[in-house]
This record gives sequence, C-alpha cells and structure tokens, in this order.
Amino acid sequence: MIGGLFIYNHKGEVLISRVYRDDIGRNAVDAFRVNVIHARQQVRSPVTNIARTSFFHVKRSNIWLAAVTKQNVNAAMVFEFLYKMCDVMTAYFGKISEENIKNNFVLIYELLDEILDFGYPQNSETGALKTFITQQGIKSQTKEEQSQITSQVTGQIGWRREGIKYRRNELFLDVLESVNLLMSPQGQVLSAHVSGRVVMKSYLSGMPECKFGMNDKIVIDKQGKGGTTDDTGKSGKQSIAIDDCTFHQCVRLSKFDSERSISFIPPDGEYELMRYRTTKDIILPFRVIPLVREVGRTKLEVKVVIKSNFKPSLLAQKIEVRIPTPLNTSGVQVICMKGKAKYKASENAIVWKIKRMAGMKESQISAEIELLPTNDKKKWARPPISMNFEVPFAPSGLKVRYLKVFEPKLNYSDHDVIKWVRYIGRSGIYETRC
Amino acid sequence: MPYFGSEETVKELKRALSNPNVQADRLRYKSYITKVIRYMTQGLDVSALFMDMVKASATVDIVQKKLVYLYMCTYASDKPDLALLAINTLRKDCADPNPMVRGLALRNMCNFRMPGMTEYIEQPIVAGLRDKASYVRRVAVLGCAKMHSLQPRTEIDGSLVNELYALLRDPDPVVVVNCLRALEDILKDEGGVVINKPIAHHLLNRLKDLDCWAQSEVLTFLLRYRPRNDDELFDILSLLDPFLQSSQSHVAISTLRLFLHLAAAHPAVQADALLCSSAPLLATCGAASRELRFAGLCHIQQVMRSQPALFNTHYKRFFCGYSEPSYIKFRKMEILVALVNDENVALVLEEMKSYCTDVSAELAQAAIAAIGRIGRTYSEKCLDILTGLLALKQDHITSAVIQTFRDLVWFCPQCTAAVCLTVESCVDYPQDSEGKQALLWLLGEHADQISSAPYLLEVYIDGLKTELSAALKMEILTAALKMFLRRPAETQDMLGRLLHYCIEEESDMCVRDRALLYYRLLQRGIEETRKVVTGPKSDPSLSVLTSAQEEPVSQWVSIFNTLGPLSAADLQLHNTALSASEHTDDTADTELLTEHVPVSMRDVSEAGVSLCAGAAVSPEAFEQMWQQLEVLQRQTVCFSGCAADTLQSALQPVHIQTLAFSPARALPWRAYIYSRGSGTLVLAELLQDDPEMLTVTIKQQPEHQQTVTAFISVLQSVLQTLNTGQMSV
Repeated sequence: MIGGLFIYNHKGEVLISRVYRDDIGRNAVDAFRVNVIHARQQVRSPVTNIARTSFFHVKRSNIWLAAVTKQNVNAAMVFEFLYKMCDVMTAYFGKISEENIKNNFVLIYELLDEILDFGYPQNSETGALKTFITQQGIKSQTKEEQSQITSQVTGQIGWRREGIKYRRNELFLDVLESVNLLMSPQGQVLSAHVSGRVVMKSYLSGMPECKFGMNDKIVIDKQGKGGTTDDTGKSGKQSIAIDDCTFHQCVRLSKFDSERSISFIPPDGEYELMRYRTTKDIILPFRVIPLVREVGRTKLEVKVVIKSNFKPSLLAQKIEVRIPTPLNTSGVQVICMKGKAKYKASENAIVWKIKRMAGMKESQISAEIELLPTNDKKKWARPPISMNFEVPFAPSGLKVRYLKVFEPKLNYSDHDVIKWVRYIGRSGIYETRC
Repeated sequence: MPYFGSEETVKELKRALSNPNVQADRLRYKSYITKVIRYMTQGLDVSALFMDMVKASATVDIVQKKLVYLYMCTYASDKPDLALLAINTLRKDCADPNPMVRGLALRNMCNFRMPGMTEYIEQPIVAGLRDKASYVRRVAVLGCAKMHSLQPRTEIDGSLVNELYALLRDPDPVVVVNCLRALEDILKDEGGVVINKPIAHHLLNRLKDLDCWAQSEVLTFLLRYRPRNDDELFDILSLLDPFLQSSQSHVAISTLRLFLHLAAAHPAVQADALLCSSAPLLATCGAASRELRFAGLCHIQQVMRSQPALFNTHYKRFFCGYSEPSYIKFRKMEILVALVNDENVALVLEEMKSYCTDVSAELAQAAIAAIGRIGRTYSEKCLDILTGLLALKQDHITSAVIQTFRDLVWFCPQCTAAVCLTVESCVDYPQDSEGKQALLWLLGEHADQISSAPYLLEVYIDGLKTELSAALKMEILTAALKMFLRRPAETQDMLGRLLHYCIEEESDMCVRDRALLYYRLLQRGIEETRKVVTGPKSDPSLSVLTSAQEEPVSQWVSIFNTLGPLSAADLQLHNTALSASEHTDDTADTELLTEHVPVSMRDVSEAGVSLCAGAAVSPEAFEQMWQQLEVLQRQTVCFSGCAADTLQSALQPVHIQTLAFSPARALPWRAYIYSRGSGTLVLAELLQDDPEMLTVTIKQQPEHQQTVTAFISVLQSVLQTLNTGQMSV
C-alpha cells in the first residue's frame, strides 16, 4: 500500500513528509525531488519509477503531493486517494497553498495520522474525521463527547455520526457544471461535454432520509406525460439524457438501479452527492467567432466576436477571452466594444476581460498584431482561442425537481427544512480553433 | 539537508526545551515542539533532542502528544534505549478511559521501529483486539501486522492468526478490512490470507458497507476465490453487478477485473461486463483531474486489446485538448489509431493533422507516425496529408515524414511509386540522423524510381568526413551498394571513393568492417553480390498475422488495475516475457502434427481424404512455418471478394481454420488459412490483387499430394458458393 506521503512546494522543498512503512527509506524524499521536480524535461507520466519505488504525484497550483509505494498497487486508487486527501485538506483550511500548508502543518500531520495507518486508508470522510482531530486539544473531554466517539466508531454508517442537532434545519444544493467545448474554425462542434457535480451542504438534525429528484430523461419518460406538464412550461427542455453518473457512497445504488430514484442518508456538512456527465443537447453559453487575416509577413489582423446564447434576463460573469498571439509579436493595437483588453507579452496572448454580459448579446474585439520579421520558416501553429466565464444556469439543462427530507424520529418535517438551490455553470476547457 | 548552522539551531532548541520557564508556559512549550517537527520535516537531524521530547510526551494535550509521538517514531530506531523510557507513558495511555487516547497510544507504540519492542507491545495489542471501541480494534489489528514486520522471521503466532480470522466478522467494516490486510502481511510467506467459501460470501455481503478504498482492496482479495460451480459463480456475479457502475473509478475497475477473472470460462459474460463498464471507463477519461484521465486511458487501451470495436462510436472522446499534458496526448493518439474505421477516418485524420504542428516536436513526430500507421490501411489519404506536411519545411516534421514514408513503403508496397515521386520533388531534406537514415534507405532501396537518387547520395558521401554518427555511415554504405547494383554507371565512381575512405581512413571499427565486407562481396562478382544484398526479404504482409489480433481477455487481465497498464515499457516487457515462455513450452512442430480424429466424416472429398481442424496453430508458429516451407502449388480462382467473417463462417464447417486476414477492402487483400488431413498440415494464403481473381498459394508439411487436392477442391467449392450467393443477392 502507500508507503509514504510527501508534500513539496514548487521549489522542491519538503513541506510535509510522513513515512508509513519501513521499506521506504529516508532518501525517497530526495529521489522524487531530484528526478521529477528538478528534472529538465517535461513530466513524462504521473507515475514515476525510481529504483523499484513508484511515486504517484498530483499537482495542485504549485504544490506537489506525492505518494510512494514499493508494491504493485492499483494506480487509479492511489490517485483518487490523493484527491481525497486534497479535498480533506481543503475542507479544513481552504485553498491548498504553500502558506496554508505551512500554517496548518500540525493539523496535516494529525490528519495523516488518522487517514492512513501502516499505509492503509482508514477514515477519509471529513465529517467523521472531525471527531478525532482536536485542534484545541485538551485531553479531558466531557462524557458526552466520549460516548459520541464510541458510537460513531461502532456505527454502521461511517459517514454520519449520531446525535447531530441543529436549531434551524437547512440545506444548500449547488449544481456546479463545467462545460467543455472544442469548436472548429468553421463553427462546427468537434466535441462538447458537460461534467457536473451536485454539491450539498446539509445542516439537518438526526438521521434524516433524503430523496433527490431531477429531470433525468429516463425517470421523466417512465412517469409518463401526465405528471410533467408544468415542467415543460418553465424550461425549454423537458428532460436531459445523462450519459453516466456516479454517486456519493451514501446513495443506495440498488434503489437507483431498480427505480432510478436517489435516496440516501446525507453526511453532515459539505459533500459531493453526485457527479455526472452529459454530451447531448448542451446549451453552449457563448459562441466565439474568430477571424484571422494575415496581411503580409509582418502584420496580422484578428477579429473575434462573442455571442451570448441564453435568456436575456440572466447575466454571465467573469468573462475572459484569451487570444493567443505569435511569438514574434512586436506590438498590438486592440479595440474592443466592451470590457478591457490587454496584450500580455509574457503570456503571448491578448486577454480580454468583461465583467458582466447579459444573454442574447454580442460583443467584438479587433486587434492588429505587428510581427517582427524573422527568418524562422516555422509556421505559427495557431493555438485555439480559449474562454472562461461563469453563468447562473446549468448548461446541461439539469433541473432539480425536488429534495425531500424525512426524519421520522425527530419532530420536523420536510416543510420545516429551509432549502436553497443554486446553479453555476463554469467554463472547463472551452476552446475554439482559429 | 544538513545546512550551515544546524548544530546551533539544535543547541538553541535544547536550551529552550529544558528551560523551566518555557516548560511552565504550555503554549510556548508547544510552539518549540512544533519547531522541532518542522526542522525534522526539512531533513535536519534533531535526534539529539530525544530526551527532552520524551519528557514532553507526559502531557494532557493530545496535539502535543501526537507531535511527540511522530518525533519518537522517526528517531526511535536511532535511540532505542531512550525510547524505552517513553514506553511506560504509552502503556499507561493504553488503559485510558478515552478510546481515542487508547488508540493513539497503541498505534504509536506499534510504530516504534526497534528491536525488542515486541515484548512490550504484545500484551496491549491482544487487549486492544478485544476492546469495545472499534477505533482501538482497528489500530490493534494493524498493530499485529506491524509487530510481525518487526521480526519477520519469527514463528507465526497461531492463536493470534485465529483471532484475526475471527475478527473478520467484526461489525465495524474498517476492522474487517484491516484484518484482511494484517493477515495478508503476516501470512505472506504462506501465500497470504486464505479466502474460503464462508469468508468470500461474508465479504461479498459486507461489500456495500465498506468505504471505497476497502472495497477496492477486498475486490482484489476476492480474486483468490474460485467458486465451486456455475450457480455460485452467477450468484457472486449478480452481487458484484452494481459495483461495476460504482462512482469511484478504481472500484469500478477492480470490479471489472474480478468479473473478468471469475467469468474466465464464460466469454459472453466477459463481453457483457466489458460493455457495461465501458461507460465508467469513458467517464474516467473525461474526469477533471488529468492523472485519473491518464489512468483511465491506459485501462481503455488494455480493454481494446481484446475488444477493439468497443469504443468505436466514442472516438471523439479521444481528441486531444490543447492544454492537456503530453502523456495524455500520446495515449489518446494511440487509441485513435486503433479506432480508425471507414466512417471516421476522414475526421480522425483531420484531427491528427492538427497535432502535427504542435509546439512540442516530440508530439508532432508521434502524430506523424500515427498517420503513417493509419496509412497502412488508408494509404492514399494519408500520403496526401504527409506530402502536405513536407511543404511546412520544418526540420522535425520533414524528418518524421521521411521516416514514416520508409515504414509505409515497407508495409504497403503499392504506395512505393507515390512516395518516390514525393521524395523526388521534395526540396527540404531532413537534418537529424534518424531522418537522414530513412532517406538513405529509401534512396538505396528504390534507386530505380527516384531519378535524382545518385546526386542526393553524392552529397552525403562528400560530407562523410564531417559525419559523426556511425549508424548513418553504415546506412550510407548500404545505400551506395544497393544503388550501385541498380544504377552502376552513375554510382561506380562514388562507391569506389566511399569504400576507399571507409576502409583506409575510418576510425569506427563497425563501419570499417562493413565496408570491407561489401568490398570482398563485390570481389566475388556482381551476380553474387546482387543475390546477397537484394535477395528476398521477409514478407512484410505476414505482419498481418501478428498485428491487429484480438487477444483473449486472459492475456491482460492479470495486470489489469495494477501499475502495469500505466507504464508502457513494463507492458512490453511483460509481453515479451509471455511470448518467450510460449515458445519454450509448446514445442511447435510436434504439437502441430498430432493427428486429431475428425469429429464427423461428412466432408469426405473424392480422394477419400478428410480434413479436420485439429489443434489451433499459433500465429507465431504459422509465420515460422510459412517462411520455412517451399510453395507446393499456386492456383488462381475466380472470386469477387466477400466480408471476412462470411468467409470465416463458411470455412469453419469444412474444417478449414482462418488465422488472419487484412482489413476489408484493402488491396491487396490477404487471408491465411490452414487445415489438417492424413497427418499433414496444409497452410494456404489467399491473395487478392485485382477485384476478380484470387491467388491461392499452398504449402504443406509433410507433403501429401492427395490432401492438397482435397483441400483445394473443398476450398474451391466454398468460394464458388460464396460467389453465387453474392450474385443472387
């Protein structure tokens, strides 16, 4: 299993090192730094083999997380474990950055102690971990807390502890989607998919049973036409076809398979209820129409039009269009109708930022790029124009139809729970070739 | 990283830790302990502080305790005598009323790596196994494994092992899995933990309670279990079914592996499982994190080894994103090449073409090579693209294109003319060694079709003195000799110069020997040389036999879901190891010729000789024999072609086995078939050069004319039926 876990900063300095097994020597920390972080060439593979030891690494911003093992392990699992580790850390102290790691380094050691023992994963649910990690750390505990540990630790449901109480029963549902697009210069969609997550924050008392419903095509079709007429009125699309979806451990899979209903006892606090992917009938929030003209050998004219394609009442935010420029660019003149555009020589790109943009609008930028004459015969391989944005709807068309809460033992009902639903669509890799 | 001033730092810390004022102020004391751990992480040797740290362990503050324990675990092996001082505190903590303190103490006590520890930890571990808090039981179970690893060679304690087996029934899922892990470690020398029927069924029933890491591991352990009968097998499979669609890709992949392993005798079930898990696999390839995407792609490649068509409709998923790291792009290109078919070839090639101008030269070259591989089936379209790429006049692209041309000419002789024309009109020649070698090979091999060949070669010969690479010099020699045999008048002079230089002035021994060899060969006369240098080569189309084979699932399932698929190098190694072992244990010829009594005597031909299929011939054995044997008979048959599987199913009933065939509509189209009769093995090649005629070449071992006649008449009647069948349609 996992013989050790190391965290480095971008310079290769060790921030955290924890060895779980004897077969990992103390020089393993340095071996990874020398062979991977300080290596000249690009990273060849996320798995590196050095002297019969495998190093699995994941990079978050400029932090390297590496898991080391001498055994022939299940690679996908080690990667998933590293992501889980990142999630747990994020849940405790926010963004994974060098500063945060240095400030919380005692906490991280505590976490590493609980999550892995002898290299075997033990307990990785943030909610359940909270009982073991005591940052205030005074030994004498109340009787109540002690019994809590015992019950949590013996309980069948590993992801939720018993005896949770809230004055206000609330839950927050976020549908977070990232829409990915690859478009040809002619405006033909080469590939597009939405990968989405339903993230839930639940503050519910007791052991509630929840049922989640969305406009999944299979369910809607099964229910027949009668029940869903009001749905059709509100949204243009009645139902969506989900290509594949995966659930949090708490969802009863057998029930999903037989009835396609999503029912579960939720963990406490924030967690990811489901992940899904769709490829059909995606609402592409923006269209990018590029026009590149080469005027002689030393000049390039670029015109890019972006069109927003959603309801006029909605507002897209944080729009950023990145237009790559050739390496031998000497000067750029930009004119844009909206927002601010700037040529960033260090990034070889014109970055055009618009704070807000309503639906069904159009905006344009034109730029004249002056090139230095070179004797390099190399043709400029035009990288695609990429785009970032955030829109307040789900590009896949997913709609939450209901989320019901039942807690028979405590006296609150579905109506007493305050529920919040929010849709956020972000750009994933949203590229248009030019 | 012992840096300057490290001794000072340690001394300072020591002073601070032993300062009574600091000890009195809990917060300050703790901050110094944190500092020690920080230095330890950075690689500074702070073992000198051991004594002070042991003192700090006697505290009520759990966080401080944890830090001190971490310190002690790291340095205990260096200071075993001092570490013993801490044991008393730890043992006291093991009896604490708080289960968390008990667990913490026990875990850290087991983590001390020093000899003689066993006697202190054995009793707390045994007590921990029976603790009422499962948190402590978890720790105690793994403690058993740690204790064993301290003294790996000692006798295994039978009662402890029995206790662990009993704990497999524990209500806490993590305890169950930890038991498996501990038993596996302890019983390693005896082949690991034994999974019998009750244990297997128990684990399968508990599977859904476990967390995803445990699920993945348990599924791997279950690989050891063999169901008694089919009923049990299918019960297990239906229990496993939901996990094929698990949210965690590693659980889904583990389940798939177990499925394939269990259903080894039921290929249909295996195919279903593969189909069912294709969606989660594809989802992994679209995962947000690139490492997971990489792992998913590698596993898809494995699945495609036996089911190449499974992902055909999803080929667009494997188009590369601009910002993806190159390790993903390489894998995606490999998959795309394998997925090419008549419908998507245009789009895939278009996509590949855009990769050829990638910023990374390595990636661009790989894309060009990939186009070349597609060109083995769709040569015309690919040649157009490759020729177009030459116009870009970039060194790394030109070089890769020329290399691809060389391979293409070798595999599809029909595109020789087009390639020669392109090379002829090409203005920009490769600058790197590999590219030059490829160009020289083309010049030498096809000197008669490239009119300017001698002039091009002359440039290289003139520049020989400044050339460094020995491999390139060898290639120049070979090319010059081949060209001399084809166009003596233009080449004689330069060949003479070349040989003189290489023999008299060259310092590299290999090159000199090669030049001498050619010189002596030429002395034997032109005809003799021609026979040796331009003699027949191994038939490249035979590679049809070894490539594009659908491998059985068992070929790759053993490394599925391990590190294997992620490292291509290991994979190849594994393959060669496998094939090597195959060669040794099937003594090809004897096995091939064992007579099998035909099942039915229906297909008795006129000569009274019956054919039978007998044992299957491996492609390698076939290839070997095909090259050794002489052609016995060659015949042309009227045949307008048909789908390969139609042919295969038509030949099956008459006991003729199909070994391999080229893809549909390829010209020339080839198929290799074989059959047995009267103790001999008949091998045949069907070659379709023009749309109407089929050439049948027959080889046999040992020779037996009657069988061949029977074979031909059977084959002819089959082909005729196929012909008429097509006409009526």
